[in-house]
Amino acid sequence: MARPDPSATAAGLGELLGHRVEITGAASVGAQRSTLFIEIHNGERPTAAVAQISNSVINAAPVEQEASLLRAAHAAGVPVPRVLAATENLAGADAPAMVVERIDGKTIPRHILRALNDGLDGESLAHACGEAMARIHAIPADAIPAELESMGASAFVERHTELLELLPMPRPAIRYGLRWLTDHRVPDFPLTLVHGDFRNGNIIVDNGLAAVLDWELCQRSDPMQDLAWICTRTWRFGNDHLPVGGFGSFDALRAGYEAAGGVVRLDALHWWMVARAVWWAIGLANQAVAFTSGLTNSIVLAASGRRVPELEYDLLRLIADGPEF
Amino acid sequence: MVDEPDAKTLLEAMAATLTDQVVPSCAGGAQHAARVIANLCMILAREMGDDGADLEGLRAWMGSDAPNETLIADFDAALATSTDQDAVNRALDVLLADAARRAEIARPGYTDHGPT
Repeated sequence: MARPDPSATAAGLGELLGHRVEITGAASVGAQRSTLFIEIHNGERPTAAVAQISNSVINAAPVEQEASLLRAAHAAGVPVPRVLAATENLAGADAPAMVVERIDGKTIPRHILRALNDGLDGESLAHACGEAMARIHAIPADAIPAELESMGASAFVERHTELLELLPMPRPAIRYGLRWLTDHRVPDFPLTLVHGDFRNGNIIVDNGLAAVLDWELCQRSDPMQDLAWICTRTWRFGNDHLPVGGFGSFDALRAGYEAAGGVVRLDALHWWMVARAVWWAIGLANQAVAFTSGLTNSIVLAASGRRVPELEYDLLRLIADGPEF
Repeated sequence: MVDEPDAKTLLEAMAATLTDQVVPSCAGGAQHAARVIANLCMILAREMGDDGADLEGLRAWMGSDAPNETLIADFDAALATSTDQDAVNRALDVLLADAARRAEIARPGYTDHGPT
């Protein structure tokens, strides 16, 4: 997908917000979405905000849904940026977009990990992540959009078996993972709101957890899925000895989760760690397929195909050894 | 006839040039793309020095001398349908060895640590 023209995007954002908008920089231009720093000229001093504009050539949830989830999370005491506007079709960009308040802090994972050497308390951060997860999982069902996807363990296996069949090449390691998930299914647990992408890279960190970002993968699911995902090795960025995002221990995450009312089930956590490794392996393989099929010319998506073996190795090791915590 | 530098050497030189000269001189999405391409060059250089999959364990598991592509597809199908749980359990070692080899090409040192 071609990048939208910045001036047309600024005009579209201005139309959405009812005030002149200036794009002051790009926080990130990723495969899935562009995150732009903007200033809204709505008073004597401009308001600093962030515009998230979808680039996705792969399925994405409606942005209005993500906005309503952010509002529900804010009401539940989860640190999130306030939503200023959202639209499924931003004029000038022809893409879904959401504008949120700008919260200062670090978002780039390696900067967060470097801050550990400058006084950032990784254990406190992991504890705060646990607390935030528990608050997300306690959001009442009537505050969650009715159309939000449900993905319990059985639905996960069924859906991802179908997705595996769609890949152009056989993937025996992922097949093995799905078979293990089928054979070791954990008891059903009431589904809750699950963030789905709560990890290092989707949080803002100042002296602690300032905000949880990127809510487009929200679903109703087993709450252990969120704890499993933040412990996925990919999101440790080389700090493999600290399972929670490369900055904290599992004990700290667990303590925060339980302090805010959550209940940790280790068997389900193990199951979902394998499940999310399967999910991410299929996701990376699909990003490569988007390139090989001509859907995108992104070299970043093409390169994802060479990351699949890491996830295959991790999921097989998780099956062979189990998590240590 | 072979020209010099060979492909592996050129890929390594391309990676070094991108990392040392191109990445510092650009920003944003272009900088990220340059990093990704440099990493890909190194992966491709390592792939050129790889002997390929050792499929002997897989052939023993399958009891088959089928060509590689057929063998892997048959293995995949067998994992989906086999009722011999002991055999399926034994497949884990075959799969781990293959995944470890490919992960080391993608990211050297990756198998020094586990995911737990």
